[in-house]
Amino acid sequence: MKVFPALTAVATAGVLAALYMVFEYAPLEADMGVVQKIFYFHLPSAWLCYLGFLIGAGASAGYLWGKGPKWDLFALSAVEVGLLFGAIVLVTGPLWARPVWGVWWKWEPRLTTMLLLIIFYAAYWVLRVYGGESEGVRRFAAALGVFGAPNIYFVNQAVKMWRGVHPDVIRGGGLAPSMWTAVWVSLAALLLVFALLLTLRYRARRDERAARLLRRRLGRIGGLS
Amino acid sequence: MSGGYLDIVLTMLVKDLRIELRSKEVLLTLLLFGLVMVLVFAFGFATDPAVSRAVMPGILWTTLLFSGTLAIGRTFARESKDGAFTALVLSPAARSAVLLAKIIANIGLMALVMVLLVPVLAVMLRVDLSPHAGIIALQIGLGAVGFTVVGTPLAVMAVNARFAEVLLPLVVFPLASPVLIAGVNATGAVLGTVVDPDPAPWMKLMTAFDAIYAVGGLFLFERMVTE
Repeated sequence: MKVFPALTAVATAGVLAALYMVFEYAPLEADMGVVQKIFYFHLPSAWLCYLGFLIGAGASAGYLWGKGPKWDLFALSAVEVGLLFGAIVLVTGPLWARPVWGVWWKWEPRLTTMLLLIIFYAAYWVLRVYGGESEGVRRFAAALGVFGAPNIYFVNQAVKMWRGVHPDVIRGGGLAPSMWTAVWVSLAALLLVFALLLTLRYRARRDERAARLLRRRLGRIGGLS
Repeated sequence: MSGGYLDIVLTMLVKDLRIELRSKEVLLTLLLFGLVMVLVFAFGFATDPAVSRAVMPGILWTTLLFSGTLAIGRTFARESKDGAFTALVLSPAARSAVLLAKIIANIGLMALVMVLLVPVLAVMLRVDLSPHAGIIALQIGLGAVGFTVVGTPLAVMAVNARFAEVLLPLVVFPLASPVLIAGVNATGAVLGTVVDPDPAPWMKLMTAFDAIYAVGGLFLFERMVTE
């Protein structure tokens, strides 16, 4: 398997290119100054967080509809990587919001939806990792993964109505074209990192499972207990 | 048992109701817990009448959510002993029929608890709810249905997983948060404690939530449970 080293090399180059685009190529934003640079990592991370959860929900549905244990492991790995990018979002967001909005946090639809979703999938993760190793827990977690999807709509809707009909538009619509170029390069680089991490986590989980099954077989033969 | 879908629902429901009516264990526990919640909130927030009125919707809905969580955690408690749950799953009865019976039982239980608890809450916090009793009852009904259709299928977890008593609220609260937001604002609209005095959009949102999760839960439950 020579794909993995190649992927690592491309991802590293991509991240370096993204750093160049963000700090050298994209112009300094007039109002916000250097703080705005956070945005180039914040926005792609938010998208990738959603991507991880969506892959997790899709793979969970696949597992529920009889696709075998690999789909369950893939769902867990995707949610894990999604949670990592969610953590990046939750750290970079307030760092940007404090100087620009004047507050660390706002109960704004996008923020609230993201936070609730991260908490929900963190609970999925806790259940899956600490809830015990049984078919019941795996199936239950898969159902949870699917349950989370319609909730995105309802939470978003509820918070929009709660905060009135004038939602705060996050400043970003007025980006210069060169800034958008930097956003896309950063997204591409982080997408490579996402793929890399997902591959790593999935392989580790798959090998863990294979080792566990082997142990059990050996135990049955009479070697280990 | 003739085995029709509604027969199964009815049989399960009657069985659960009969046991509960004889022992009253869940109902009494929930009522006492609800009273303790009312006390905690009264000590925590109710300093003067204006404040009481402002926090009333929040107190009412958190009480519903917390006591609902207790009720839901008990859903399959009786079946978890002596392999009864396995027998239930292995039986030819449609699993969604079993779930439907449990959902109806939980809704009834929560409705009963709230009917008894809300007047106590109103009296102790000195907020007159009687002019709006009908619409508040309807809102609580919608909320109880929403919370129950989300929570009851998840209660199967308690049969299988470790840490279920911690994990269940952890997954149910984020899922049910649209119900909480909608409920607090709908009741607030009726009591005049929020800006917008129209509860209708909130109640529509709750209705949509109830419908989607009721159908989705019954549909997924078939695949969620294994022998």
